[in-house]
Amino acid sequence: MKNIFSINTIISITLFINVNSFLFSQSDPEEFFEKNCFSCHTIGGGRLTGPDLKDVEKRKDAAWLEKFILNPESVINSGDAYASKLLKEARGVVMPKVANLDQSMSRALLKFIREESSKEKSRFAGSTFADRPLTEEDYMIGNELFIGTKRLKNKGPSCISCHEIAGEGFLGGGLLGPDLTEAYGRLGGKKAIAAWLANPSSETMSPIYKKHPIDEDEVLPLVAFLKNKAEGKDIVSDAHDFNFMIFGFIGLALCLVLFDLAWGNRLRAVRKPMVKGELS
Amino acid sequence: MWWNNVETKPGTGFPTRWEDQEKYKGGWKVENGELKLRSTSKTKTVTNIFHNPNMPTLDDYYEPWTYKYKDLFDSPESDDQPTARPISMVTGEEMDIEAGPNWDDDLAGSPIYAENDINLDGLSEEQRNQMFAIERLMMFYFPRICNHCVNPSCVASCPSGALYKRGEDGIVLLDQERCRAWRSCISACPYKKTYYNWNTGKSEKCILCFPRVETGQAPACFHSCVGRIRYLGVLLYDAELIEETAKRPDDELVDAQREMILNPFDENIIREAKKNGIADSTIEAAQKSPVYKFVKEWGIALPPHVEYRTLPMLFYVPPMLPVMSAQEGDAVRNINEEFFPDFEKARAPIKYLAKMFGGGNESHLRYVLKKQSAIRAYRRAETVGDIEKLDAEKALLEADCTPKEAEGIYQLTSLCTFEDRFVIPAAHREEAIEMMKDPLEHKQEAGFGFKEAPARGW
Repeated sequence: MKNIFSINTIISITLFINVNSFLFSQSDPEEFFEKNCFSCHTIGGGRLTGPDLKDVEKRKDAAWLEKFILNPESVINSGDAYASKLLKEARGVVMPKVANLDQSMSRALLKFIREESSKEKSRFAGSTFADRPLTEEDYMIGNELFIGTKRLKNKGPSCISCHEIAGEGFLGGGLLGPDLTEAYGRLGGKKAIAAWLANPSSETMSPIYKKHPIDEDEVLPLVAFLKNKAEGKDIVSDAHDFNFMIFGFIGLALCLVLFDLAWGNRLRAVRKPMVKGELS
Repeated sequence: MWWNNVETKPGTGFPTRWEDQEKYKGGWKVENGELKLRSTSKTKTVTNIFHNPNMPTLDDYYEPWTYKYKDLFDSPESDDQPTARPISMVTGEEMDIEAGPNWDDDLAGSPIYAENDINLDGLSEEQRNQMFAIERLMMFYFPRICNHCVNPSCVASCPSGALYKRGEDGIVLLDQERCRAWRSCISACPYKKTYYNWNTGKSEKCILCFPRVETGQAPACFHSCVGRIRYLGVLLYDAELIEETAKRPDDELVDAQREMILNPFDENIIREAKKNGIADSTIEAAQKSPVYKFVKEWGIALPPHVEYRTLPMLFYVPPMLPVMSAQEGDAVRNINEEFFPDFEKARAPIKYLAKMFGGGNESHLRYVLKKQSAIRAYRRAETVGDIEKLDAEKALLEADCTPKEAEGIYQLTSLCTFEDRFVIPAAHREEAIEMMKDPLEHKQEAGFGFKEAPARGW
């Protein structure tokens, strides 16, 4: 029985992998760029979180670029001088390793960037919806969206379920993602953040928001909220760690009371009480 | 862990007050006309699987100890003799011995242990005082092994299905490979005769020396009993009557269990038994069975604590404890001219014995004691002659006994041979094995014991 079971598992895993690679070999570089790169990079639109990629091949040779695209962190860690410079320019934000990116796709991407660079105005010169100024109302809506009192339009999870920000929320935010208090400055300002939110491309966020993207109308309010927090406005007290601990203790006490109610009446001893004359 | 232990009664036994099912929750109860385990149920098996709340503690079994014998040799010279102090076999630390495997014997009649015997409940203050009065003080031994019950609660309680009652000889066994240490059986057995082995992580119990029984030998404790008071034989019973029998009221249980046991001389029963695949040798053994005689023909052996409803398959002949002397002033005098005085005045109140062996029904105890007394009188008349033969025969008649039966009881209890005491039929293991695998294949594998020693994990 055991053997049959493991063979089955192997077959289903192989099938799964095949289907996956099949799907991605179908996607073209333009679509791939839009989904995975555009949140941090423009082509001829100036810097977002990452640098403008227009004429990138004139700055560095294709072999280096390919290596960097496939695994940015290892190139940075290898002490490469140019990579370190890029890291500094990006205020220490490391480019995430892109899921399902293989060698052939990276070559296709470079080719695509070359073609787009030669155009006068690329489709990827940057989005325009982030151009209007932020208002106080944006901030209020952003606050509600972030902590989840108002649901995201496309039913994506609220930010607080994975992120902390400036002590917001009774028990603080989730700890899966990074603290977003300084995110506004770190990612490079309004335009960069807006681009990121419109299409989050990190390994964790992209699968979650691919099906439930953040609506364009919701992006700027969230940006406003992040900006205000980064500027130190409306910082809530940092009591949630304490709250969390107190909650933990109360929960523990309740569990113990429950256990005692369920099993407190157990047989503890017979002989000792009998010898003491306390046998009931 | 004592698969076979001997307790002193009155006393609290091993583990302490094991007969107190209000505390230990062993055996069955009848609820809404259905038999239910006291200790567990389907729901409780789930909720209590990691924590069984009715387990005897180590202290109730007693903390095992040894002595620092080395000190006897190594102590420096001093004015006093060196002593070997007791040390715990659990912790290795020095300890005070507070309980032992038969503490009641070591402290017989003590106001703490003996007087807390649960079978004394319901006795009047006067009866209690009499039991523990000087010169009336009484004790008897109560040897206990697994009762290999017909309706075993340990088997019913096991979540892993590790316990089973063998079809071929009714021995209740615990599979050491299947046991998962949930320890339900320890709570469920009202006689506290399954034990948990902390070294192997498995529960254990008396196996009635089945390898010996399979080869026609008596179990070791039966074989070696110096008093020759243990008998082993086949009983045929109607398995379809088990549930109905176990549901009967306490005071009818002894009779009900006897009714369940079938007469191996009855032609109909022999025919049905054969139809059910019971071997001729087994039927023949059932006809010669000493146990059948004790339990059914003569009716002088009674099951212990039948009110736990597990229908135990071990039977005891209750003891006679006549009062022969009493204190008068400073002297102790013989107060009985007769050798076999009225057993109603015996030191052990009938009520007490009835709680142990009759499910509270005193008439069974009266019957047994009366018969024993009559047979002794009859034999006295035969051999010594200081009792009138006619009186003895009259006593026999009153005790529902014939001279022939009296002779039979005398023979089997006093002059018995190995062949009389242990009538063990061929085991026919091959037929049992045939249900699982090829007996010849099994034969080639047999004799090597466990492939692995019992150990934790699976």
